[in-house]
Amino acid sequence: MSPFLFWFFALLMLGFGVSVVINRNPVASALSLVASFLCLAALFVGLNAFFIAVIQVLVYAGAVMVLFLFIIMLLDLRAEQRRRFNLVALGGGTLVTLGLVAELASVLNRFPLGRNPFPPLQGSAVDDVREVGMTLFSTHNLPFQITGVLILVATIGVVVLSKRELN
Amino acid sequence: MPHIFAPLTLEIIVLILGVFLLLAESLAKSGDRSWMGRWGVAVLAIVFGWSFFTTGDSGSVFYSADSTALFFKRIALLSTIGILVMALEFQTVLQRFIPGDGKGSGTGEFFALPVFTCAGLMFMASAIDFLLIFVALELSTISFYILVAYMRRQNASLEAGVKYLILGALGTGFLVYGITWVFGLTGETQLARIAQALPLQLAPGGRLHGSETAILFAVGLLLVALGFKVAAAPFQLWVPDVYQGAPTPVTAFLSVGSKAAGFIVLLRVLEPFVSQPVLGPKLVGILNVLAILSLAYGSLAALPQDNLKRLLAYSSIGHAGYLLVSLASLNPAAPDFAGATRTIGFYLVGYLLMTLLAFLVLTIVSSQSRGDDIAHFNGLSKRSPFLAFAMVVAMASLAGIPLTVGFYGKFMVFSAAVAAQKFLLVGIGIVSVAAGFYFYFRVIAAMFWREPGEQSPVVVSGLSKLAVATLVAGILLLGIFPGPVLNSIKVRNEPATASLR
Repeated sequence: MSPFLFWFFALLMLGFGVSVVINRNPVASALSLVASFLCLAALFVGLNAFFIAVIQVLVYAGAVMVLFLFIIMLLDLRAEQRRRFNLVALGGGTLVTLGLVAELASVLNRFPLGRNPFPPLQGSAVDDVREVGMTLFSTHNLPFQITGVLILVATIGVVVLSKRELN
Repeated sequence: MPHIFAPLTLEIIVLILGVFLLLAESLAKSGDRSWMGRWGVAVLAIVFGWSFFTTGDSGSVFYSADSTALFFKRIALLSTIGILVMALEFQTVLQRFIPGDGKGSGTGEFFALPVFTCAGLMFMASAIDFLLIFVALELSTISFYILVAYMRRQNASLEAGVKYLILGALGTGFLVYGITWVFGLTGETQLARIAQALPLQLAPGGRLHGSETAILFAVGLLLVALGFKVAAAPFQLWVPDVYQGAPTPVTAFLSVGSKAAGFIVLLRVLEPFVSQPVLGPKLVGILNVLAILSLAYGSLAALPQDNLKRLLAYSSIGHAGYLLVSLASLNPAAPDFAGATRTIGFYLVGYLLMTLLAFLVLTIVSSQSRGDDIAHFNGLSKRSPFLAFAMVVAMASLAGIPLTVGFYGKFMVFSAAVAAQKFLLVGIGIVSVAAGFYFYFRVIAAMFWREPGEQSPVVVSGLSKLAVATLVAGILLLGIFPGPVLNSIKVRNEPATASLR
């Protein structure tokens, strides 16, 4: 992946991420999150991980975010009141963030796997969707089939818990 | 070769039963749904019998059919049978709190869902790969979410459902995160291959040498998730409210089935990690802390409770503590997982019998007295001497009186702790046993020395009478002759056929 594209999408993703937090309108926040997910998908494409990129768009940008939007619209949330910044809270939050970063840095530094560069990936770069399908239906068939039962149970649950009163 | 006594047959029959019940329910005329419960009890009893003839291996890397797995599958089957019997008694209460027009309307899924939960618990008993562990655990947990919130006209049940859903989802998050860490570090999801790979990778020059912290972090995440599942402190915050709000049969299922399956997964997951000399002492230390917290919290917080379901919820935390004592008594230099499995397996059988009995009596009494406080048991000895006697046996066994199965289970746990010279654990254990005597005997005192609020005798159906009598007999028999159950869990990681001969 060309460094230019990486920096472009990475910065765009971070920008949209910040806008999720800053925006006072929940719908705008949710849409920024969608945009951030799309940029992340572009990064995956750049790494030749097409399957993960597609799943990222379908599952996160598609299903999960549509659900978010539905809920926001159902709850009829208005734009939040603009609050004045509380200096103590702001300072405390910054301190906690800095502490967490320092802690993570010290842990990662002490942990050799985190210091050494990861070896380049090998194996099938071609057609990873096919690989995933083959794995699901051959070696990993048992967990896959149980997932089917799991989804059946979840469907029953939705019907049981949400059906209207019958009177 | 697949044949009718292959190990997976058990789960397949249970799943077919679940789908059959759902389909039959939708095709049947509206009306009473008790037949679903009776069908479930009958087929699960057949599967229970079938499990004694299971032979061979599954040939799958995800699924183990060793005797331990079969043993814990039988616990899952027995608890589901007990829960279905309880659900039959519970119908009148259930009907009041669900929307529906007429008798039996809307109760069908209450009999079908436990069957799916049972399949999930059975898969958990056999899971030896993190993928199957995750899928099986989710199958049982998701059906529990639905069952807990089933009485959706009652606020307590809905509140319990929401609490369980949110904290359960958080627990699942910890589990998945832990699994990804383990996979990222070792490159494996199969427990057997992790056990092979870890010593090499941890040795000087191996790729994980010096990264013990990362592995401890991963196992810590897994312990949080499984601690949630078995209701161990400090992951117990959900327990009292969920146990009290859920429909009583579901509470019993949560406390028996969920705990048993959680412990077999905990045993299997911990084994490769505790066996490593650099990790073992630290992990055993963590287990020590969990055991002490669960024992102390479970027994001390149970003292002031007036609601019997809430009392049993705290008692469930306390029993998770006793079970953890046997894990905390493992010697990290040479961990005896076979011995710990045996102790935990036996304790769980006892716990199954006494908890099911207590909840069965509670279901019968509360559906006829309209409440599940200890006060509703006042004078039960006059209203139904049979139930009062059964409850005395259940409470005595939960407290750990000699000649009951509860005593023998606690005895095994404490003798393991004494052998490991964990005297702090033993001391706290004895304090919590003493506290247990107080709060379990309050129930007995209410039944015999208080005047009944209502005079009407408590009616018990034939099936429930049979179930109560069986459970009482089981508690007393296993308290005197624990041998048969103990011998059936002697062998570990051997094909099931070995234990049959």
